[in-house]
Amino acid sequence: MKEAKLPASKAKRERLSKFTSFLFVLPYLLLFLAFLFIPLVYGIYISLHDYNLLSSVQPFIGFENYATIFNPDSAMNSLFFDGLGNTLKFVIFSVPLLVSIGLGLALLLNSLPGKLRTFFRTIYFIPYAISVSVVSIIFLWILDTNSGLLNMYLMDLGFDAIPWLTKQPFAWISLVGATIWWTLGFNMIIFINALNEVSEELYEAGAIDGASAWQKFIHITLPTIRPIMLFVIITSTIASFNVFGQPYLMTRGGPGDSTEVLLMGIVNLAFEERELGVASAMALLMSLIMIVISVIQFKIANRKQGGES
Amino acid sequence: MKKTNKRWSALAVTCSAVLLTACSGNSGVVEEGGNSGSSEDNSEITLWAPFSGPDGPYMKEIVDGYNESQDEYNVNFQIVPQSEYYKTVDLAVNGESNMPDVMVMHGDQIFTYAEKDIIRDLGDLMGDEISVDEYHPNAIEGASVEDELYGVPLDIHPLLFYWNKDMFEAAGLDPEQPPTNREEFIEYAQALTNEDENQYGYVVPTLWPQEFIFPTIVFQNGGELYADGEVQFTSDAVVEALEFERSLIDEYAVSPSDVQQDGEVTMFLQGRSGMHMNGPWMMKQWEDSGLNYGVAPVPQLGTEQEGVYANSHNFVVPESVDEEKLDAITNFFSYVGDNALAWAESGQAPASKAVYESDEFQDVNTQSSQVAKQFDYVKFGPDVENWGQATGPLMEAVNEVLLGQKDTTEALEEAQQKAANALE
Repeated sequence: MKEAKLPASKAKRERLSKFTSFLFVLPYLLLFLAFLFIPLVYGIYISLHDYNLLSSVQPFIGFENYATIFNPDSAMNSLFFDGLGNTLKFVIFSVPLLVSIGLGLALLLNSLPGKLRTFFRTIYFIPYAISVSVVSIIFLWILDTNSGLLNMYLMDLGFDAIPWLTKQPFAWISLVGATIWWTLGFNMIIFINALNEVSEELYEAGAIDGASAWQKFIHITLPTIRPIMLFVIITSTIASFNVFGQPYLMTRGGPGDSTEVLLMGIVNLAFEERELGVASAMALLMSLIMIVISVIQFKIANRKQGGES
Repeated sequence: MKKTNKRWSALAVTCSAVLLTACSGNSGVVEEGGNSGSSEDNSEITLWAPFSGPDGPYMKEIVDGYNESQDEYNVNFQIVPQSEYYKTVDLAVNGESNMPDVMVMHGDQIFTYAEKDIIRDLGDLMGDEISVDEYHPNAIEGASVEDELYGVPLDIHPLLFYWNKDMFEAAGLDPEQPPTNREEFIEYAQALTNEDENQYGYVVPTLWPQEFIFPTIVFQNGGELYADGEVQFTSDAVVEALEFERSLIDEYAVSPSDVQQDGEVTMFLQGRSGMHMNGPWMMKQWEDSGLNYGVAPVPQLGTEQEGVYANSHNFVVPESVDEEKLDAITNFFSYVGDNALAWAESGQAPASKAVYESDEFQDVNTQSSQVAKQFDYVKFGPDVENWGQATGPLMEAVNEVLLGQKDTTEALEEAQQKAANALE
């Protein structure tokens, strides 16, 4: 009897535990459904229609919106692919820096004494809490070619004024620089936590074997924090893909259309031109590209890990 | 959408569409009364306006004045933030619910909404209470599509000319005498320029507000951006306008190169740009900064004629509005036409003759009367669907040429092609 009763109560406990777990997931699930899943499905629906906000009828047109995007003669084609190209440039310029500087700063802060570390950690993290409009205005003033702070100092030192926001490659340098200053704190905090997780014993063992600081970093620190590294790379890539506010407010897409990123084009198309159908198709294609890139990053990282172990 | 943070997902476009549809007309609406959108009571009318800036209180003053002036009707005034305005309107249209009874609409938007039968032809409202003769004919033209009146004009806001009186005085110019033509403009600009002091006659913007400045010079050259069903970006008048602006930077050197977004405003506020062109909405910023400035009609910088690019604010009525409410609406329009002086206090110029021809209007501030002086020769954007998609490439060309990164003809030919393609 006793033996028969035990599994029953165990099953009951398990069911209860599953139910409690579900309760914990529920709030997120509801938000996910309301703000991601349903809009996603609705977005797919819109993208299959000739959906002009002001038209009284939005006829179903199948994949015509997608066909327009891929038709090289249409204005939508250049809007999408020029925008995508600019977005990709931003991703390529910003992600390696966001990850490596974030890690570097974390290493630097970790070697500081406790109180100083907290102080600098706060300082570096604060910009992350500021909104993009404020960040952009600060940088607009600092970088102004003819009356900005930075050029004033450069000219005092005998250099020529640099057109930070009106000439390439400076416009990209400025946008990436502003983004790094703004969002670096987030990656840094994650890396600091990851570094604290690395076991001290490994370093001690390494020290006994006569490993240099660089060797310790390459052979102990990096392998241990690899999962976190992957997380940081993927979140940074996604965040950089979604770049909008910085070029929208700082360069207005200029010089010419060289910093006109994809989201600027999509938002303009959706809410200025009211062509929600094509805009939704573009947004979905963009998400698809982001998903593919994330999966590739994941695969590469996992393969490396598998190869080493 | 402008304050997007970096976590913004690509799906936000679709998300917002859904969210805003769900909230319908209510999203972002500052309510004055209890209910939003169209009301059942025929004596109660709802008014939407994008006046979320310093102009809001002046419109409220007018509406409050109307509500107190009589007992029959009541206007419920709701401000929708400017950046969300047309989005909110569009989603109300799309959801076919919560439409206001009257809304303020920019002149350059009227064509789109009229074409889609969303706003009402107001011809039948014209009669004893209000008539088109009470407004400046250009304002009526700006609110009309193919001679049908779709809006009752509130104001016309053209480009304006501002100058720094202190800098004029220091340069030995008469601080009360703004330039009136191209020759004077260049002459004054050269007198005001002192490159060693990083001080310039006229700082040429490379982005906004070129949307107002560039068409102004094109019109003054006797040209059009759109005519005979085609974009005219490669016409002589357009090419000359761009070459002229470019010459201010390299030939006459009265402007620094590489002016960034708002860089010309910063330099005007710092007293390092003697002259400036912008819209009437800048008045508050100049006043707040304590700048000793003057304001006048835009000088004739083109070679042929007077002309200035303008937009306008108009009252429009949705097609869906209850016919029973038209009496109340007409009564309100009539009141605003006679009592819009408060609107002039914001630096704008009401388009109703009863206001801009009055003595009080001349004294309300220094700016509004200068705005009204340009009424006779204002030009509005063309009535073309998706005109925004055509001006985008043009403004890119203007940007690249003024930054010295592209040849004028080459840039304009490219813009012509892109724009023609977008309008197809």
